[in-house]
Amino acid sequence: MPAEPALQLTDVSVEFPRRDSAVLRGVTLRLDPGEHLIVFGASGSGKSTLLQAITGVVPHTVLSTLTGSVSVNGTSTIDASVVELSRHIGVLSQDPSSGVCLPDVEQELALPLENRAVPPEQISARIDHALAAVGAAGLRQRQTDRLSGGEGQRVALAASLIAEPALLLLDEPTSMLDPAGLTAVRQAIDAATAAFGPSVVLVEHRLDDYAGPAGIAGLPERAVVLGDDGRVLADGDTAAVLAGSAGQLNARGCWLPLETELLAVTGRPGGLATPEVRAALRALALPREGDDLQAPRGLGMPNDDGASPAPRIGDTVLTARNVCVSRGAELKKRRRPRRTAETAPAILKHVNFELRRGEITALLGANGTGKTSLLLTLAGLLPPAEGSVAGARPGMVFQNPEHQFVAHSVVDEVRHGLPGDAGRLVKTVLDQHRLIHLADQSPFRLSGGEKRRLSVAAMLAHDRPSLLADEPTFGLDRRDTIATAAAFRQAAAAGRAIFFSSHDLRTVATLADRAVVVAEHTVIADGAIFDVLRDPDVLMRAGLRLPPLLDWLLAEFDSAPDIRRVLNGLDAAVSGATTAPQLSGSRV
Amino acid sequence: MTAATTSAFTASGSVLARRNPTVKLALLFVVSLAMVFVFDPVTPAVLYIVALATIQASTRLPVKAMALGHVPFVAFGLGIFLVNALSRPGQILWEAGPVRVTVEGLSVGGSLALRTLVIGILAIGFVASTDGVALMGSLHQHARLGSRVTYAVLAGYRMLQEMPREWQTIRQAHAVRARLRPDGTLPRGLSAYRRAAFALLVVSVRKGERMAQSLESRGLGLSPRTTWRKIPLNSTDWLMATTVLAVLGGILALSHILGFLEGYDALFS
Repeated sequence: MPAEPALQLTDVSVEFPRRDSAVLRGVTLRLDPGEHLIVFGASGSGKSTLLQAITGVVPHTVLSTLTGSVSVNGTSTIDASVVELSRHIGVLSQDPSSGVCLPDVEQELALPLENRAVPPEQISARIDHALAAVGAAGLRQRQTDRLSGGEGQRVALAASLIAEPALLLLDEPTSMLDPAGLTAVRQAIDAATAAFGPSVVLVEHRLDDYAGPAGIAGLPERAVVLGDDGRVLADGDTAAVLAGSAGQLNARGCWLPLETELLAVTGRPGGLATPEVRAALRALALPREGDDLQAPRGLGMPNDDGASPAPRIGDTVLTARNVCVSRGAELKKRRRPRRTAETAPAILKHVNFELRRGEITALLGANGTGKTSLLLTLAGLLPPAEGSVAGARPGMVFQNPEHQFVAHSVVDEVRHGLPGDAGRLVKTVLDQHRLIHLADQSPFRLSGGEKRRLSVAAMLAHDRPSLLADEPTFGLDRRDTIATAAAFRQAAAAGRAIFFSSHDLRTVATLADRAVVVAEHTVIADGAIFDVLRDPDVLMRAGLRLPPLLDWLLAEFDSAPDIRRVLNGLDAAVSGATTAPQLSGSRV
Repeated sequence: MTAATTSAFTASGSVLARRNPTVKLALLFVVSLAMVFVFDPVTPAVLYIVALATIQASTRLPVKAMALGHVPFVAFGLGIFLVNALSRPGQILWEAGPVRVTVEGLSVGGSLALRTLVIGILAIGFVASTDGVALMGSLHQHARLGSRVTYAVLAGYRMLQEMPREWQTIRQAHAVRARLRPDGTLPRGLSAYRRAAFALLVVSVRKGERMAQSLESRGLGLSPRTTWRKIPLNSTDWLMATTVLAVLGGILALSHILGFLEGYDALFS
């Protein structure tokens, strides 16, 4: 007879007071001890609510109505408080900076044990064990505010497992990490779940990254798909579930393992290794009738003749001459000199490049190499320690859109900083960026994708010749990523220079004309995007790793437009993602 | 102990730093309370000199840090002194037009100013020798502060560490769209700060909510609970407390015998 289930949901429905329809409907789910489950669903399909219903946050902390029953390791969530339930549940959330709460790593790990009244003499050994399980034994004496994202997330994972809960909830655990952090956390999750043996419920957007080279086999063995109405659409073996729901999930803008995405688009299983799939991708690369008449050229597509720079690229609008980027330069300018100002080292030196109208340039490099500082320097927000930045005042979009918000409604947000008679312009901008129906909402209450659209729209409303953007697609689902790329293409077509940093090389390859790579405290490469991506030396020095799809495309096709057509063809399979007409023209 | 919670002021590893934080805090409180009943200038002056010498010896603070720590207390004390010297009625010592200085004013003002310094030097000694995390742990263990309050303060402390960075980013993000002043510089108006403060508030409240959920998911609030690294409370701490109280009592008694000590009556004489 099977042991008591780690998790049992019976006919669970959840409603929130200010929403007319239920977020979860009649969900029934049983998870055995040690079983691993992944939950698929588009944004807004109730994945987060499902996790909250398991931890007891719904209905105890968040105002909501829950019918049916949830029990964790035999404890009903209705009868127990969130804290009481924590005896059975470990949670790893997406943001390492709020998942780690105390000043020292040791204290962070001791806290769950102290709270469960573990005898003090056992605590030190268990801290060592938990840190070793996540591959972070060296972090024990560290302070938590000095940890990188990947380190912080591993410490948070150790803290969520150290008290050996029966169930581990992973809520997009890698979505805020760079590739290096992602790999480390991914390995830590495997090792730690093997060491502690909890049941696992995983919600993850970036599935391709999460699954890694193993593909679908790198995901939990069982999967559940939540539909838009909050019902369970499929439940079973992950490979079978993905095969059955591929088209639907892909169209809804979920990030999927490449194999599943290719199945959705080409209708053939097996992924890149299969000749039929490759043939279908090659077919995507063929120029289609009417391509020349459609907007691609104007909307940021390179010409079919490829190699030569497209004629739409115009004059230089921003020039960096021998710029030295340093955080200390700013402090020196203040009246009261700080002690740190004297010693602040240069982050980047001898930076020389130009941004031109109509050109989209990607800024690539590992975390901590100074990409954000470089963008701030170009934007005039951080004075260069040496050298000069010349050109008209640029616009800039920050990584966290909330940092930019100044107004209490969307329409005022766009109007901010514009001349008084800009009413018509504001309306046009809201229309263009599909924000008009949200005009009276508070910017802070929008969804992640809407916040990003608003921050880009509010910046583009200003007449600036160049737009800088810091990780503009970070944390977005695939549909919003494609929409952001489309907005940038439009802005470039209207004659702006675009310069954006990103870790997502697939988006970079889809969008950018050119790449600037920073590493070793300077710019190590600056050139046409596919030339840079084909240079193994540059990739290695900058710590960049090509995703398998891009790797194959670069090997398969010589011309940039071919590669671009395949990537756009894949994006076109995501419904509602496009604002630009060229994508509807190339739908497969 | 924890560099994260120490400032430039901290004299970690000193004699005073090894004492129990709760005991130190209680002594600071008791001495301050006793000072409320003293209104002559001599008693607090003696107490200040004794306290300064003891704290300097037991923390080995650099003179510069010590002087810097005094600035707010000296400024506050000077203000009290001047107000009292110029406004308190009594025997006139010096007069020029509307300005007159009384003996009572000098005496009471001097007493209040020196009282400020006594409390000030004790506060400096406390801050310089106490690790914030250890203080919270000690209050939890020795002063029955609830675990939820204790760890909420510690988590809040971590948020506080990240706030300057967050503030700077918000200010920069807002500056991008700000209309420049005629000379090309960024506006520094009150409304710009208000907007940035609002954004910081929203971002921080969100983060606070997430941290609260993290702490709950770690089981904060369960009982019974244990404490891993106990903050020591030993006989040396009791010895320190007894000595401090004895010295305080001794100085007050001596001052009374010698006729310096004055209480509330000094205010109305």
